[in-house]
Amino acid sequence: MNNKCRLPVLLALTFVLAACGDEKNANYTGMGGDNGALPNGGSDTLTPGDASSGIPPSPRGSFNPNDADYQTLASDTIYFDFDKSTISGDQREKLQAVSDWFKANPNDSLFLAGHADKRGTPEYNRALGERRALAVREYLVGLGLPAASLYTNSYGSDRPAVDGDTEEAYAKNRRVEIGVIVPKP
Amino acid sequence: MKLFSICLRVVTLICFAGLLQLQLHGQGVTVEVSTLPRVGVSISGPLGGGATEIVSNDLKRTGMISPVGSGSGDYLATGDASEAGVSGRLVNRKTGENVFNQTFSGKGRLAAHQFADAITQAVTGLPGFASSKLAFVAGSVRTQELYLADIDGYNARAITHDGTISASPALNHDGTQLAYTSYKSGYPDVYLIQLGSGTRTRIAFFPGINTGPSFSPDGSRIALTLSKDGNPEIYTMSPDGGSLTRTTRTRGAETSPSWSPTGDRLVYSSDDRGSPQLFVSSSSGTTDGSDWDHLVTGNSYCTKPDWSPDGKSIAFTTRLGGQFQIGVYDVASRTAHLITSSGGEDPAWTRDSRHLVYSNNGRLHLLDTVSRQSLPIDTSVSGCGEPTVTR
Repeated sequence: MNNKCRLPVLLALTFVLAACGDEKNANYTGMGGDNGALPNGGSDTLTPGDASSGIPPSPRGSFNPNDADYQTLASDTIYFDFDKSTISGDQREKLQAVSDWFKANPNDSLFLAGHADKRGTPEYNRALGERRALAVREYLVGLGLPAASLYTNSYGSDRPAVDGDTEEAYAKNRRVEIGVIVPKP
Repeated sequence: MKLFSICLRVVTLICFAGLLQLQLHGQGVTVEVSTLPRVGVSISGPLGGGATEIVSNDLKRTGMISPVGSGSGDYLATGDASEAGVSGRLVNRKTGENVFNQTFSGKGRLAAHQFADAITQAVTGLPGFASSKLAFVAGSVRTQELYLADIDGYNARAITHDGTISASPALNHDGTQLAYTSYKSGYPDVYLIQLGSGTRTRIAFFPGINTGPSFSPDGSRIALTLSKDGNPEIYTMSPDGGSLTRTTRTRGAETSPSWSPTGDRLVYSSDDRGSPQLFVSSSSGTTDGSDWDHLVTGNSYCTKPDWSPDGKSIAFTTRLGGQFQIGVYDVASRTAHLITSSGGEDPAWTRDSRHLVYSNNGRLHLLDTVSRQSLPIDTSVSGCGEPTVTR
């Protein structure tokens, strides 16, 4: 296997960090491989949640996550590819809209709820949902929103938006929902 | 050379399998070898009929013993079963030796299971798992509760009634403590339950996710996933919530830690290289990656590893052609192979390091990794997942 280049792109600062890594795991033998999607397959996608210097999640707020209002920004739910926490280009317009909304409502907080589709083991899906939520948070921080107003949680595959075993259903479940937390008077 | 290889396989398989079908590839020959030791079971007393059935079923489930009627067999298991327990005796019919004469005082069906485990140990040299307890989650997708049951599916009971997501149960070495993930607070936190008293304590509730606990073999540490420092990483802590130590430091997400039987290493899943793969590293907190060992399985999606009690094997979940299957990684040869073909997730070894419990589409199964036979575990509860067993 050739050396592969990773291009982690720090979306928030809109510049590109390119780093070449030596792919050591060259010899895949044994079970015959899956679908060619071997690890680190020469990604040139944007991976804002990838950095080890990722912004730690906010301390928990004095509200119940179940009280978050997901209706106000329901049309701005961010969707993801299978097994990815990368924010694709066609989702960025919605994040700009979220940013605009927040700047008009600066006293509210946002609750970023990450989800995975049902395929795969629950624990991995919980981590995947968390990375999706943190990726959205980091993007919004890059758009100028205060990190302290952006709360996150992951529900893994335990709170699907729609039921079913179709690719269409899975696609609707791989998401970060944007909830609004209104401060108590 | 080929003949030698075939002979070696036959000998190996006889040693480990007992009853099996051996395919000699390319020749289309199927050889059936039946070498299972036969144990006659006949238990008398007020509860003798039920106990005879329980012990016979337990012995059959080992895959290494053939239970037969009392009139035949290489061994004869007799005894007396009452409310007080089972007094059991095992005789080697060939030698006339009295192998053991022992009283088992577990409540209800447990005494018969304990008798079956003693027979299994005496006849095969491997520990029986009939007396093991099973922990799992069950319910609808949005609300899951924690359950305990016997490993044969009997006595299933819910031990939480929280109406929220419960996940990822883990039992300690002696089955007295259960750690798991609950969204009771609204966020995923790790709780510890003292099963004797029912006392529940929240032991990890950092910002971000707190999930996937796993007890060290001696029960003194819990490994788990926390995202408090920016992305999901593996940490270890004491069961009282103290002395937190970070174990991994990557750009990816690390989940589902499982301890080596010696407690000095952890195997876990990491997607640091783009998709989830299995890694082993020291459990003591070396985070610079210098001791990382990537377990090459040949598959791009490998999660939820579980290290066998004898240290020789690591079972895991893998994705193949869009379906999830169970694989087993052999530590000595550093190779992996699939052991299911009709689906499976979340494997957990029983104490004989030969059987696995796992889930598939909301049902629990017991898999003999040698014969590849899979038996459903009927808990009478629907929507089951994430099984684990006492060792």
